[in-house]
Amino acid sequence: MENKKVSLGDRYAEATVFIVTVIALLAGWFYKSSVENSSIPFNVEGITAQAPKGWLQSQPAGDELLRTTDRSSSGYNTTYILRKIPLAADTSAAQVASLLTLSHGQDLLAFRVLEQREVTVFDKTAYEISYVYVESNPDLTHKNIPSVVRGADYIFVNGNYAVAVSYWADEKNYDLDLSRFHLFLESISY
Amino acid sequence: MTELKAVHERKHVWRNEFLLIISLIVFVGVVYALDGAVKPVFTTSTLLLTGVFLALVPAAVWLVFFYMQDRLEPEPKGYVLGVFTLGALFAAAVGVPLVENIFRVSHWIYASTTATILGGILVVGFTQEFLKYAAVRYSIYHSNEFDEATDGVIYATAAGLGYATVLNIQFVVSNGGVDLGTGIIRMAVVALAQAAFSGITGYFLGRAKFESEQIWWMPLGITLAAIFNGTFNWLRGLVSQTSVSLSGASANPWPGLALAAIVAFATTGVVLWLVRRNLTVQAGK
Repeated sequence: MENKKVSLGDRYAEATVFIVTVIALLAGWFYKSSVENSSIPFNVEGITAQAPKGWLQSQPAGDELLRTTDRSSSGYNTTYILRKIPLAADTSAAQVASLLTLSHGQDLLAFRVLEQREVTVFDKTAYEISYVYVESNPDLTHKNIPSVVRGADYIFVNGNYAVAVSYWADEKNYDLDLSRFHLFLESISY
Repeated sequence: MTELKAVHERKHVWRNEFLLIISLIVFVGVVYALDGAVKPVFTTSTLLLTGVFLALVPAAVWLVFFYMQDRLEPEPKGYVLGVFTLGALFAAAVGVPLVENIFRVSHWIYASTTATILGGILVVGFTQEFLKYAAVRYSIYHSNEFDEATDGVIYATAAGLGYATVLNIQFVVSNGGVDLGTGIIRMAVVALAQAAFSGITGYFLGRAKFESEQIWWMPLGITLAAIFNGTFNWLRGLVSQTSVSLSGASANPWPGLALAAIVAFATTGVVLWLVRRNLTVQAGK
């Protein structure tokens, strides 16, 4: 293929197309972020948060104040759960973590703890448990192959109650959806 | 810009475009009827292979028409096939990963009407139209074989059909095969839409090479094609969605095909009119 010499005008036109495309994609990226990070206020039993907008949200039940699910995420739908757990005096976050781990071990299939440690989350001391399990849909007609779900619980102790925030996402989406969860985590106040 | 003049029109280019639209609709009708009448039973692998084969049909139809009719001043078939392949490669290597994995459009683009339109234009539209433009601009554009304004439409359509083929193959593979009836409609819609929007980019590319256009000319072309692309995808979703229930929305793909055919006819008609008008002006000078 014999190419002719490219004129200066061609070069400018070429660069302009490139710049316009980059600007459009950057605008698209900012718009994507604004859509993904848009939220609605949540306030139950003195605990407030900014829940993701457009997600499926359940009514409070038992100690579970909020369960919100992203129906558009692939594989296992990314889910946030917010619990308020009443505590006896002097109960530590590590003890709450042990109870939650026990509960997950009974409820979740092939549950395995990956790591647990004390962390500081947005200037608040918390206890973090990272784990993995296999989604077990009780519906026998459910045809999909079970998903491997990665989860993380953050436990904050505040006097006579603990706030436990869970993040569940398909193993493939866990890291990609993490920044959105951090926004939710940061918005929680109690 | 280079100031070469190309002042004659290749009628067969337009015939090919219109024949592509008509033959794809006929092909969809035949496959849909056969699927309904025969009700073929496929294994997982034969379903996948059939889907991939069907994904190649729209491009094959256009290339066959092109080969049969491009006799007066033949365009090198190897170059047309090369640009088609480049369009497909750009889609597979850049377009699909960028849209699906980096921008993850399926996670947010259906959040609202505004998100569908803006995401469709800014992310999907610009990515696709820029890559189709790049497939022509960085291959054949400066070659001696690109010697008429109409060549822009020919090569951009080839790149667009390459892009559409990859989108269709990706759809088939990610779903582990497709239902023949609805699958073939979706493939025809994607191919018709990509060919139509490529026609816009091709028209702007052709004029950019042979006339002293301003620096904003080509960005305008890409932007227009991206706007049409994004708006079309929103409209297709709107006309195809028939009912919404608790388990989700059900879709009827036929209105989408009708819309794609109308858009393809209209776009090709407008581009044809613009090229003819431009040739008349050039001849007058």
